[in-house]
Amino acid sequence: MFRRVWEKWKNEAVASRRKQQSSHSDQQASNKTPLSESLQENLDIIKQRLGNPQDLIIRPFLIDNSGRACAVACIDGLVDSELVHDKVVKHIQLLMSPAGKAIPAPDEDIMAFMLNEVLSIIEVKTGTTMEEVLDAMLVGDTAFFVDGSHTTILIDSRGWETRGIEEPVSEGLVRGPRDGFNENIRDNTVRIRRRVRDPKLRFDATTVGRRSKTDLIVAYIEDIAHPNIVNEIKRRISTIDIDQVEESGYIEQWIEDNFLSPFPQVQNTERPDKVASALFQGRVAIILDGTPMVLLAPVTLGIMLHSPEDFYERWMVGSLARVLRYLASYLAVFSPALYIALVTFHPGLIPSDLAFSIAATRDGVPFPAAVESLIMVTTMELLQEAGLRLPKPIGQTVGIVGGLVIGEAAVSAGIVSPVMVIVVAITAIASFAIPSYNLAIAFRMIRFGAMLAAAMFGLYGVVLAFILIVIHLTNLTSIGVPYLAPLAPQLVSDWKDYILRAPITFFKKRPDMLQTKDKTRMKAGRSQ
Amino acid sequence: MITLPYADQKIGQKEMVFIVANVVIGVGILTFPRTLAAKTGSIDGWISILISGLVASVIGWLLGKLASRFPANSFFEYASLIVSRPVAQVITFLVGIYFLLFVSFEARALGNIAKQYLFTTTPVEVITLAFLLIVQYAVAGTRIALLRLNMLFFPIVLLISAVVQLYSIQMLELDNVRPLFTTGLGALLQGSKEVNLSFSGYEVVLFYTLLMTRAEDAPKAVVKGLLIPIFLYLTIYIFVIGVFSAEVVKNLTYPTIELAKDVEVPGGFIERVESLFFTIWIMTIFNSCTVFFDLAIFNLGSIFPNVRKFTWLLIISPLVYMISLWPQNLVQFFSLGDQLVYFGIFITYLVPILLLLIAKWRGVRGDE
Repeated sequence: MFRRVWEKWKNEAVASRRKQQSSHSDQQASNKTPLSESLQENLDIIKQRLGNPQDLIIRPFLIDNSGRACAVACIDGLVDSELVHDKVVKHIQLLMSPAGKAIPAPDEDIMAFMLNEVLSIIEVKTGTTMEEVLDAMLVGDTAFFVDGSHTTILIDSRGWETRGIEEPVSEGLVRGPRDGFNENIRDNTVRIRRRVRDPKLRFDATTVGRRSKTDLIVAYIEDIAHPNIVNEIKRRISTIDIDQVEESGYIEQWIEDNFLSPFPQVQNTERPDKVASALFQGRVAIILDGTPMVLLAPVTLGIMLHSPEDFYERWMVGSLARVLRYLASYLAVFSPALYIALVTFHPGLIPSDLAFSIAATRDGVPFPAAVESLIMVTTMELLQEAGLRLPKPIGQTVGIVGGLVIGEAAVSAGIVSPVMVIVVAITAIASFAIPSYNLAIAFRMIRFGAMLAAAMFGLYGVVLAFILIVIHLTNLTSIGVPYLAPLAPQLVSDWKDYILRAPITFFKKRPDMLQTKDKTRMKAGRSQ
Repeated sequence: MITLPYADQKIGQKEMVFIVANVVIGVGILTFPRTLAAKTGSIDGWISILISGLVASVIGWLLGKLASRFPANSFFEYASLIVSRPVAQVITFLVGIYFLLFVSFEARALGNIAKQYLFTTTPVEVITLAFLLIVQYAVAGTRIALLRLNMLFFPIVLLISAVVQLYSIQMLELDNVRPLFTTGLGALLQGSKEVNLSFSGYEVVLFYTLLMTRAEDAPKAVVKGLLIPIFLYLTIYIFVIGVFSAEVVKNLTYPTIELAKDVEVPGGFIERVESLFFTIWIMTIFNSCTVFFDLAIFNLGSIFPNVRKFTWLLIISPLVYMISLWPQNLVQFFSLGDQLVYFGIFITYLVPILLLLIAKWRGVRGDE
């Protein structure tokens, strides 16, 4: 029902937004200011529109010795000033036309002459309205005006300080490439191009955010990715209408299938190798300027539990690591719940000796097992959150102080039993073993629900909670791809890259669940 | 919403096989050794299982034939084609009521067993309510997701039965099994009537064939689907009798769970396996329940197409809950179950077979 209400609401919102948008663009069309013929007037408008900020550079000068006035305008810091100086100002002041032609007298020709003869820069375009000029300048272009001409040349001179290419912090690997994405979209597309030298690689660019006008690129390999998936993602991105987009999380939350689900339906990564392999699988990457986090969609629960290392190590290692991770996800969700259920409702299920020793350690603990677990699990969450916010060295101290000292003290003070501490420790470690941070958070949330169910109904409650989660997961989709694929629906051919990872030579086909256009990965497999 | 070719609302033959098997294996398997042992008094009950399995397969095949005659029509639609709209309305309504009652019965059965084996102090009302809420959540989703759930849980259920049987091997006593072939034909047939009740559920083929990519596979799928419960019932019966002897089994309310109770896992890793066994068994009862619930809504909904699925859910859920609390004790409960099954035999076996005959006679076919 929620979904229906949500869809209805969303449709209305989209419809009204479309109306607004169309009226907005009409307004814009009518409001566009054409450039004036007077150089001074143009420069004045720029100053006035931008509020004459301190970082606005306007440099008027004369073309060679003809006495014609011209000017460049740009934003300091966004442009590569060396390039502007060497290739624009210097060339025009000295008019280093290799052909040695004279400066044309008529107004219209001077711009063509500049473009064709003088400016030795690859990316240039012409503009005729003030809005175009301002948009381009705010991106890092340099506008070149000549007195008496009502067109301008917009020179791509983007160049600003960026963070270098560093190892991804959130997704460390023992084996694998060390480079990660950074905040510059161009650097990020380069990292992908370097790995995917396929002419069919597509970077479809658009901007999102009405005011922030952030660059966004949808990347996919045209003859692999299913067109339905690509088109659906583009359609959803086209509905985005907010004033500013800070991080790819905005995009993720806007395009996800079900906003009520605790599970992430879009994957994020700062590893270029992960993106490249996703593209080859037939998935789509969404790259946003200003963040190293690249989105990958569609995603399934299985993919979220995979790590690129599974494929870099030999298949047995990869398979075992995966089995371990699936086990870890069960432990992360259900171990406190199982503790509550067993201790409170079914002590008979535990072997007698163990049951006695647990009972002995719980002797003197004033709370029921459910409250005890709640206290400890909440403390664990607190520690995790606190450790995250603090600088690295202090964060580790918090971990030690919190984990060891509080745990030990709580036990000796008789507030919790030692077995509880073990259970909480196992839970925490298990949730750290999950490769996707956002999936681990989902598990942490569900853990509390499972604990509640166990506190009410014991094992019965745990099973009901499990069934509930599985119902939710079978209904969930990510860009139309079932979240539990290839388990439900069963796609047996995809099972070789699921809980176990088959030897690399067995992967003759791309994943069936993504319905790729080009299905073949290798012609013959192992040839010996 | 986009759809990829495999993610459509269709199921294949494999899915149908599993759904049939899963729906048939429900509560019945937990109790049938008692009634069968009471009627046959010996291990010979396995012949009864075979007989009733055969009967079920024949009926299932006929039902599959009927449904695959109309690959694109719902039950109500093809019943209307065969025997006028008003008659079809009555039949479909009764079918809907039957499934509704069946959900109540299974939910109550689950409540009873959970109370007996998991927690004695929690009232059965609360246990049943929690379970029904989960079932409703499943039914509120898409129909295809519900069928996929069946596929997901089925291997787990098969695994736990296999484990219980494997560990029971060491407890088998040959004396309990002997003497063979002592039961008369009359008793065997009586026994097979009892087992037949535990085979009910394969009538789902009448309604889900609509979703199959190749409807003509429906009859085959039912028979294949029934083979799994037949085999499981055979082994369970042999093990239960072999471990406890027929005399004891007659007096056990849930002989199959008692079998799990006697299992000892080597190493003492876990004790009281029966709780664990039943906990996992909840999944298969859950599966049957969701399918029956879905069919109750589907059939009632096809008579009143203007009412939305979610509204039906809201109307039916309290009804199901109240009916499930109706029986005051175990005796009433089991007699309700028996009456329910007779009602089911009439409305989901005899009537559809009649429909098939009429359809053949009148030469009615569905649109391709």
